[in-house]
Amino acid sequence: MMNPLRKRTVLDLSPRAKVGAYAIMIAWAIVVLFPLYWLFLTSFKQPIQFTGGTYYIPFVDFQPTLDNWKYILVDVGSDTYRPYINTIVVGFASASIALVLGSLAAYGLVRFRYRPRVGVIALGLGCTVLAMIAIVLGVPPIVAAASAIVVLFLLIRAVGKRLSAVRLGNRDISFWLISQRMMPPVAVVIPIYVLFQQLHLLDTQIALIVTYAATNLPIVVWLMSDYFAAIPLELEESASVDGASPYRTFRSIVLPVAVPGLVATFILVLVFAWNEYLIALFLATANAATMPLLVAGQVATRGPQYWYMSVLIVIMVVPVIVMAVILERFISRGILAGAVKG
Amino acid sequence: MSFAKNRFVIGLPIIALIVGACGSAAPTAAPTAPPVTAAPVTLPPVTAVPVTLAPVTAVPITPAPETVAPPTSESSASPATSAGAKDFSGVTVNVVTFTGPPIAEPLQRHGAEWEKATGGKINVTTAPFSDLFQKEATDLATGTNSFTLYTMSSSWLGSFAGQGYFQDLTSLVPTYPGLQWDDVVPVMQSNSSFGGKIYAVPFDSDVLSVYYRTDILGKDGVAPPKTWDEYLTIAKKYQGKDLNGDGTPDYGSCIEKAKGGVGTWQFNGVFSGFVQALGTKQGTFFGDGLTPLVNNEAMGAALDFWKASSDFGPPAEINLDQGTGRGLMTSGRCALNIDWGDMGTLPLDPTVSKVKNVVGAVVMPGSSKILDRATGKLVPCDATTCPNAVDGINHAPFNAFGGWIGAINAKADPKAQAAALDFISYVSAPEQSNPDVTTGVTGEQPFRVSQQDPALWIKAGMTADVAKNFLDTYIGASLNGPNAALDLRIPQANQYTNVLEDTAIAQFLAGELTKDEAMKQIFDGWQALTDQIGRDSQTAAYAASIGAK
Amino acid sequence: MPPASVPSNGTTHLTPGPAPSEPGPEQHARDQARSTDEWRNPRRARNVFLWPALLVVLLLAIFPLIASLGLALSNVQLAQGGFTIKFTGLANFNNLLFGAERNIFLGQFKPPTILGWTTFIGGGLLMAYVLVRYLRSGRVSALGIVGRALGIAALTAFLWMLANTLLGDGGRPGTLTVTILYVVLGTGLEYLIGLGLAWLTIQHLSGQRFFRVVFLLPITITPVGIAYMFRMLTDNQSGPFAPLFAAAGMSNFSVLGDPWGARLAVIIGDVWQWTPFIFIVLLAGLEGRDIETEEAGLVDGAGRWQIFRHITLPMIIPVSATVILIRTIEAFKIIDLPSVLTGGGPGTASESVTLQAFQSWRAFNLGSSAAVAYSLLIVVTIVATAYARLVLPRTHRANA
Repeated sequence: MMNPLRKRTVLDLSPRAKVGAYAIMIAWAIVVLFPLYWLFLTSFKQPIQFTGGTYYIPFVDFQPTLDNWKYILVDVGSDTYRPYINTIVVGFASASIALVLGSLAAYGLVRFRYRPRVGVIALGLGCTVLAMIAIVLGVPPIVAAASAIVVLFLLIRAVGKRLSAVRLGNRDISFWLISQRMMPPVAVVIPIYVLFQQLHLLDTQIALIVTYAATNLPIVVWLMSDYFAAIPLELEESASVDGASPYRTFRSIVLPVAVPGLVATFILVLVFAWNEYLIALFLATANAATMPLLVAGQVATRGPQYWYMSVLIVIMVVPVIVMAVILERFISRGILAGAVKG
Repeated sequence: MSFAKNRFVIGLPIIALIVGACGSAAPTAAPTAPPVTAAPVTLPPVTAVPVTLAPVTAVPITPAPETVAPPTSESSASPATSAGAKDFSGVTVNVVTFTGPPIAEPLQRHGAEWEKATGGKINVTTAPFSDLFQKEATDLATGTNSFTLYTMSSSWLGSFAGQGYFQDLTSLVPTYPGLQWDDVVPVMQSNSSFGGKIYAVPFDSDVLSVYYRTDILGKDGVAPPKTWDEYLTIAKKYQGKDLNGDGTPDYGSCIEKAKGGVGTWQFNGVFSGFVQALGTKQGTFFGDGLTPLVNNEAMGAALDFWKASSDFGPPAEINLDQGTGRGLMTSGRCALNIDWGDMGTLPLDPTVSKVKNVVGAVVMPGSSKILDRATGKLVPCDATTCPNAVDGINHAPFNAFGGWIGAINAKADPKAQAAALDFISYVSAPEQSNPDVTTGVTGEQPFRVSQQDPALWIKAGMTADVAKNFLDTYIGASLNGPNAALDLRIPQANQYTNVLEDTAIAQFLAGELTKDEAMKQIFDGWQALTDQIGRDSQTAAYAASIGAK
Repeated sequence: MPPASVPSNGTTHLTPGPAPSEPGPEQHARDQARSTDEWRNPRRARNVFLWPALLVVLLLAIFPLIASLGLALSNVQLAQGGFTIKFTGLANFNNLLFGAERNIFLGQFKPPTILGWTTFIGGGLLMAYVLVRYLRSGRVSALGIVGRALGIAALTAFLWMLANTLLGDGGRPGTLTVTILYVVLGTGLEYLIGLGLAWLTIQHLSGQRFFRVVFLLPITITPVGIAYMFRMLTDNQSGPFAPLFAAAGMSNFSVLGDPWGARLAVIIGDVWQWTPFIFIVLLAGLEGRDIETEEAGLVDGAGRWQIFRHITLPMIIPVSATVILIRTIEAFKIIDLPSVLTGGGPGTASESVTLQAFQSWRAFNLGSSAAVAYSLLIVVTIVATAYARLVLPRTHRANA
């Protein structure tokens, strides 16, 4: 878009089409913005202005109040501040980890061929289940896990070679990864809670970071696979010929070209971690509580406190919107074009 | 091709091994506790806590030294010092409650006061109300024990008390300095107890009443409803009339029937009047052998009322949640509603209310017919069938949710336990709770005899008439009523009422089920659940929960 | 399947083929790397790329998956000092499919209407056609037949349920049908709108940065917050549209009081919330593509629609297929909107499977909750496997 060399392209619309395009985009922008305007408005309403009728414009048909903002930011400010920091830390840390590990795995799955042995997987599963049984029977979890890993390692050394008959492929690995998102969180949250209880990590940011990174990894792997696959191979081949290692090719050739995909994916996983409720409810109690808990907490025995909830939602989306505004410029053609041509 | 293979190969061993691992009732217990295969619910004769109308003058105290935590010596050494006057320097009490302001606000405010007085530390942790039960249950069951003091509905005590999670306070509470246990109304003493043992300190109560507009009904000379039929007549009369002078038609009755909301409690408040007549210990929900009393004419009458009242309410009353419903009532748009004691104090709050001092309370209406438990038919009330009837009408004011109480973790450090008991006693003591219960924001309802003093309420903004009417209804006739009905307080009570019953009622209102189908669905669901949990243990728990012998 | 497409068609020169002696750039790289640093060995490199991610997911996936299956086959009770797990076999599933929860999960079964029969028979004929075509294709394998047999059985069961409940005379859909409805309509609308918006925002128009950020906004809000926001909007007493209803003489009408109104409100909320997900993924896909072919098309005199249809769309088909799969999997777990808007009501009209599981879960009935969740997992697995087997190979072949 910014390329000065470009003349009229497929991306230039005729004047009439431009009008249509603007009409559609403005219409959808209204669809998006009106509910948000209503939310923002509600944060300046008193309860009686909320329940007593419909008011649209501050100062014109109702007198706005800062009471709700004062309540959230000052009166219970300390209860707001900590979850806010937690949300930021957990969101960015988990999204970064997921993006880094997920991109690596995605690149691996696009450019290399994996042949995991079914027998080894079965062995691993068997050892896991045995370890779980041992834990149920009273063996300390750390001991059980360690011995399971040792046994697995020895078994693979001993019989691994004979298990190579049936092998899986890359697509199986990918499918297994995405299948981790199929289970409703409600079914796994208690086991996850017990897991972190055993690790003495309940109510810590680490627990949330690890969990969110793991649950969002499959999405990163899938999306980045497609973005990587769309990159012309010639780029990497030339680097390879020049003697660059796969790591260097990945870092200096592939990643720069995939920036639009990386940014889009980062925003998505950041938002997922930022807004997650159920797992946070269990893994975090006080020290690591995040903002979604606070939002949901505004629904109490008195019914939803929409006015407080609106304040919380507004302050909660601000950092994400700032991020989106900053990162948006990287989702654009100029960067890729420059990298490819350069 | 390899997909199918993958899932098949991975799936088979999982299933095989799980079956192997879990076969023959292999117990998985919390790591801190030895495996137990069944929950033994001990059921000693219930003698300690009287649940009758009689003023509680002497609660028998059974000293049980082995269950007594160290604080006893302290408290007996200085019997004159009241709660909040001892030294708890360096002791931290972790409290869990729901995100306020109701309930959390007084805990936090008094927490700061108590810290100043005792040198201890109060950490109030909050969780969203709808997930608090699950959060506490998981914390206790897995042995995480994150908290010292658990605040909860007294109806949850049935799930927790029998499992040894909470400290037995029977020997401590009745004489605890400053707490003034005798001043707590009997039904809240009972709600803080399970199986004759005291497990918690109450600082709230929850009984339903019908609230009505005294200005509107009074102008027309209409008496508040005594039966549910009268309720419908009055609701019909005012449906579509302008009740707050803004020119728009308003509603005869606002009942919060939203699915997953508070509707089931209010429904059971209607239901109880048709079922329970012989006093609190008769119980509302189950008959002999824990047979659910939900597939009979009493349930049918309650369902009929539930559906009929929808015609005189706001549009789509089936989605009316508590916040909206109370908003309608306090903005003057309803003639009648069913509510907790909040509706006594909420109209006083100028930020939400346009109906200050024109909302009156009347004890939950009842019926001139009562369920014959043997036949499932409704029979006319007489001296034997309805000994507590007033003018031939049986009332069974329903203790829905049963009030907020605080229980102490049995696994906590003894010092913290002592501090927690001192703190919750401080919150509950009349000096603190008497002003609190008259303030809407605290979410606390009156639970003490001394709170029947009108002076407190006049100070909070009520007129003398409104105060007298509210206190006579709420404490006099409802909490202290001889036939007060208790909420279901057995293990998995939430699943019985707030899931199974709630769903069937919602389906009935939406026309998905007929009345008979709905009743049968609740009956079958409850029976299956009871059998799944264990009929014997549930029977014992039910008896313990209503204080029956 | 994106990662598979490249290795399987053998055109990737970087891929170590089945025959190690096959020469290629990778071989060069390996030769050079070996002399300097063993760690740079591509053989090892491929493990370094994949394993960190796998380990993290494994760590958090295996134990909860097995444990929740254990829960689904048991009854969990709070008990003295902790809790007990009593193995009850398939009792929870039995209750769901044949017992008290059947009419909620599967719906109310009544004889199909004519439309019901038409759908059922039409679906049957379609399946028969697909099967015959497969059998004649000459690429028949044992596993392929087994897979298709399973798929046909599942689809037949679903169509039969659909014909008897949603299309039954007096029948009523259960949470399973309603959830599938949400998934199909929600994901479909989100894709169409998301694609349209993404295409519009790559055009050379001023103000695009503004529109891109605005279109992204809904996804940044926490789902439970969105659900409450929509409850405010649908409130016919104090919501912004209340005066409109009043003016139309419909102030006593409530969208959420009507079964289809409630379902529609859930779908609208879902589309509002998740369109940005598809929008941003497709936007990045469109921005990341090479536009030279399109330029060439323009020079050759192709129309705008032809360029979009024959050049642009095929380029983003792979990422489209992926994002639809991800969104479908996520959409099956829909809970916040129906829970907050109506609690699943009126009756059970707008209840989703996850909400059903959640209600039991909240009451600490973990066994029956896990059984509902596992039933959903089975359905999603069937759908996703079919999609991955039948759709992805085609879409990703086009790209490679």
